[in-house]
Amino acid sequence: MERLSRRSFMKIAGAATGAAALAAAPPMARAAIGEEGAVRTHPTADVPEEPLVAYVRDAQRGEVTVTSGTAEHTYRDRALVQRLLRAAGRA
Amino acid sequence: MSSHREAPSISQDPAADNADTYAFVSPDDPSTVTIITNYVPLEGPPGGPNFFEFGDDVLYSIYIDNDGDALPDITYQFQFNTKIRNEDTFLYNTGPIEKIDSLNWNKRQFYSVHVIHSHHKDNHERDGGGDLLGDNLACPPCNVGPRSTPNYDALAASAVHHIARDVTVFAGQRNDGFFVDLGAIFDLGDIRELQEHHVIPSAAGHSVDPLKTLNIHTIAIKVPISHLTRDHTMPSDPMSPGAVLGIWGGASRRKVQVRSENGKPSKGSGPWVQVSRLGNPLFNEVIVPVGDKDRWNAVDPSDDKGFEKYVNQPELAKLLPVLYPGVFPNLAAYSKDRADLHAILLTGIPSGVVPGFQNFTGPKPADMLRLNVAIPPTTSNPNALGLVGGDAAGFPNGRRVFDDIVSIELKAIAGATIPLVDPSFTPDGAVGLVSSYLEPGVDRFQSDFPYLGTPHDGYDTPSS
Repeated sequence: MERLSRRSFMKIAGAATGAAALAAAPPMARAAIGEEGAVRTHPTADVPEEPLVAYVRDAQRGEVTVTSGTAEHTYRDRALVQRLLRAAGRA
Repeated sequence: MSSHREAPSISQDPAADNADTYAFVSPDDPSTVTIITNYVPLEGPPGGPNFFEFGDDVLYSIYIDNDGDALPDITYQFQFNTKIRNEDTFLYNTGPIEKIDSLNWNKRQFYSVHVIHSHHKDNHERDGGGDLLGDNLACPPCNVGPRSTPNYDALAASAVHHIARDVTVFAGQRNDGFFVDLGAIFDLGDIRELQEHHVIPSAAGHSVDPLKTLNIHTIAIKVPISHLTRDHTMPSDPMSPGAVLGIWGGASRRKVQVRSENGKPSKGSGPWVQVSRLGNPLFNEVIVPVGDKDRWNAVDPSDDKGFEKYVNQPELAKLLPVLYPGVFPNLAAYSKDRADLHAILLTGIPSGVVPGFQNFTGPKPADMLRLNVAIPPTTSNPNALGLVGGDAAGFPNGRRVFDDIVSIELKAIAGATIPLVDPSFTPDGAVGLVSSYLEPGVDRFQSDFPYLGTPHDGYDTPSS
């Protein structure tokens, strides 16, 4: 399950969605998103045109699935799942 | 068609495709309003073994604006849930379905109804919000045939539910009430009776109604008028602004769908995103160009200002003189913005235009059906041409199931209603000939709720 490291996930996700979304977000939206606990990255990957999607597949097991293009990777990162649950107001 | 498969995206998603919206003072219960929204257009009656149904993953909404700002003040939401009794058979039913709770009926659908009172659209899109009016309400089965659904009318009647707050609901298959010569109208705007005058002429023929043998899925709700008006009364003065309701339907899907690899239903996540809506019939179909149709479905009536230009200078009004050369000279020469269509479709008709009538909701342009609930239903010889035919209880004062929308809107676009706002204009003589040329059969509709007729069964209507 540990096919994709947390570090590499954050790198891809940060490049593909976070960076693009924040760049497009108005100042109020950026403030609402907040950066508490965020991991700063320096992405170098190309930004895909279609959405890169990450979702919590199994919160109990700490599993996150990332889909990009026609690829899908599932890996285990309990800390990330906890942060996502907090962001979703579920923890 | 009214709004059947009218936009590129929604044409791929029949379960969420709002094909028609109706709203009228109930003729057999004039203290109430009936609102109908139809989905799953063009159902061929024999379409088994998985007969047509609503989407379990779709949020169906009926919106009512009672203060003229094009924002919903009251929303009724419907959510469906399919249950299978026996997963070890391919059959929809394993014997005759003689009662709505028959053990022979294998694939059944149930639904809940919520009502939300709020002035903010966002509040109307929350999952599980509002007050629950009814739950676990049974839909009728589809009309399969004489062996499977031998007494369909009784089955359908048992699916009319009286729920909380004096609301009556029905959700299930009906005969599609809309009538139009689809095959001709989409063949370069042909009207068979007038085709000898078409730019590509042929001998005059007779209009054909392909929808008369097709079914649709109906969500119908009957609500006391006093529950819908802004001051909670039943208005008696048609000229009172409080007598007019703005009404439209819409369907939404979750922003994200995650499909499973094991064949289980996909799971939704995220907010509801509107994928279809409908107030006035034919608005998105005929007025909005193809490049803007998906956007129109996604936004709300309160955002319709950007679509005004299509109403003011409708493409079809320019096409008619081209398709029928020499037949519409006055229309061809008319270049002013169409204030008549703007009023009919986007603001309602203000007082002073049609004596004793108004359904004006204010200057904000928005596609909504506008129903003046102080105008009583016409119960004796109603005119299917509605207001154009002198019957103020019909379209564009709301819309009844039998209103001849194609004739009304064709005549209006051809110029019949321009003199209401511009007396200097004389309609072309051909306006009187523009028509659907269709008479829906007597069994197309019924006199009581839910007013649309019995759906055709697949045995007796095997091809359509």
